[in-house]
Amino acid sequence: MKKRLLKYTAMAIVVAAVIALTGCGSDDSSSTTAASSAASIEKIAIAAPEKGNDYGWNQQGVEGATAAAESAGAEIDVADGSGYDDVEPVLRRLAQRGAKMIIAQASGYNTVAPKVAAEFKVPTIVFDSPSATTPGEVADVETSSQQGAYLAGILAAKTTKTGTLGIVISAADTNWFKQAGGFAAGAKSVNPDVKFKMAQIGQAAYADSAGGKRVTSQVIAAGADVVFGMGDGASFGMLQAVETAKAPAGADKVWFIDVIGDKTPIDKKGVLLSSVIWDFTKVYEQAIADIGAGTFGDQGYDLSVSNGISLLRTDHASDEVWAEIDDAQAKIASGEIDVPLTPDQAAVNALIK
Amino acid sequence: MSDLLTTDVLTALIAGGILAGVPLLFASLGEMVAERAGVLNIGLEGYMLIGAYFGFLVAYHGGNTFLGFLGGAAAGAAVSLIMVALCVQMGLDQIVVGIAITLVAEGATALIFDANFAESRPTLGATGRIDIPGLSQLPVVGGADTSDGSIFSQPPIVYIGLIIVALTAWTLRRTHWGLNIRAAGDKPSALDAAGVSVVATRAWATIFCGAMAGLGGAYLSITAAGLFEDFITQGRGFIAIVLAMLARGKALWVLIGSFVFGISLSISDVLQIAGVDISTDLVFMLPFVTVIVVLILFGRRSYLPAALALPYVRGAR
Repeated sequence: MKKRLLKYTAMAIVVAAVIALTGCGSDDSSSTTAASSAASIEKIAIAAPEKGNDYGWNQQGVEGATAAAESAGAEIDVADGSGYDDVEPVLRRLAQRGAKMIIAQASGYNTVAPKVAAEFKVPTIVFDSPSATTPGEVADVETSSQQGAYLAGILAAKTTKTGTLGIVISAADTNWFKQAGGFAAGAKSVNPDVKFKMAQIGQAAYADSAGGKRVTSQVIAAGADVVFGMGDGASFGMLQAVETAKAPAGADKVWFIDVIGDKTPIDKKGVLLSSVIWDFTKVYEQAIADIGAGTFGDQGYDLSVSNGISLLRTDHASDEVWAEIDDAQAKIASGEIDVPLTPDQAAVNALIK
Repeated sequence: MSDLLTTDVLTALIAGGILAGVPLLFASLGEMVAERAGVLNIGLEGYMLIGAYFGFLVAYHGGNTFLGFLGGAAAGAAVSLIMVALCVQMGLDQIVVGIAITLVAEGATALIFDANFAESRPTLGATGRIDIPGLSQLPVVGGADTSDGSIFSQPPIVYIGLIIVALTAWTLRRTHWGLNIRAAGDKPSALDAAGVSVVATRAWATIFCGAMAGLGGAYLSITAAGLFEDFITQGRGFIAIVLAMLARGKALWVLIGSFVFGISLSISDVLQIAGVDISTDLVFMLPFVTVIVVLILFGRRSYLPAALALPYVRGAR
């Protein structure tokens, strides 16, 4: 028994030593990566917290990175479902596997991603962290999501029959507040008398689909026949509430407007009026071009209606309405329409009351 | 504000309270019984998650929500057997094992769900309801012609839950089983001396807890959400543990606490919809503060079992 224990212990030590040596070897290759950082982009990598088939943030990130890699003739290394807790080993591994650009697709990665970028000298994209931008190493991406939401507001105001619009958010999230304000401004640009019923599910209830359904049902009961929902996983509950809702007085149907991704494939009841789509492809293509030009990290990127934010076109609105939305999009891109920025609840409240 | 005092809004407020309260009712009722027997189930969140997933799975493939509820309860009970084996029988630390169960359940359900349904994201639609004749047509409390019903128009599982509460209260107070459960938590050595197995008593109480938590999880996925989502329980298992502790062994207080929490949560939604200018930080505290105040004011004479979370070792002092 004692001999067998010693044998297993020795085997464990040998395995640990092999793993340690392999790690050292990888560190050596990282030096090579640092030395050849100016070389062409052969591989880009993306780390996302959830699976890349969530019909939302993660899927848009992975699809954008894949498209950008394809157009650059580069290989893509996807590490989706990496979670939030301890992503440093994931980012290090991506760098060690030869990525020439890493996309850290979550603001929750903002602390560790710049650290890994500095260590491995791999250009890295982070989100919502302008101060992290560092020449040659880190570039920040900001989203002018309020611009797309403004277009959604126009669509909602043109569609509502009760004159009341619902806004449901899953958390106290800056992007949700920005879009809520943009939505309200867009709707008011069409009908200044439109009313809003807004509710938040929880402080960080991103995955609370039951809460999403409960809160959305209450917003509908208060008279909203178009619901603008922002929730990640919670938005599936919002969609479910809209699908099963009894339409409020004055309306014959309740509609849902989603954000970030396209839920059309799972919209079995035909209630998805549209979605504010965030397409990161052009931003990532620009980042690859900047690496080639040696200007990566000189400044951050802004995802806007000019380079990736748009409204999902469905056949639930008339051509005239879509033409009006296209016109507004062009005016936002040219600066003729200035969409207000509402980064917090107080700013949103000032707009919707 | 006045435009929110309509029949539709008030009905939705009650419906929201029931939707939020029922999962907590089942889970905290099971936890309360287990605690009375001396077993603290920190893994309640894990039981609920497993129940939510398998309840959804059975309801989706079987096409029958009642089968789904049974499936959720069975899955929760099956997971609680880990607690029985490791803590009740082997005497391992209940808190450590409970945390492990929750972590494993979170990972396992997310992995299996993503592998099977991440692309298709199936939903179950609305759960069928029983309309109580005469009462379901009443304004506000009736709810027969609304999306989520009200007090007198609910899925059968809600009324079954109320029957289970009554039966549990009666069993704990009036039967030998109830006496055994209470003794297992208060003075297990006395129960042992009386010739009743402490391990068996605690094991059955834990399995009951698992089944109830699984049922609560199944209600969450089948009725409250109509779908499954990774980490769908969102900490409700931990809230249920707190409710069970605040109720301190009384089934009726579990019922009151769960629905006070649910209605408070629903009121916090309506306050926001009404545009009441209060910080959401304060609004989201409302359910917790209300439950604590109510149960401290009215439930003071109850108590926690002396041997809670302590393994029973025959002859140990």
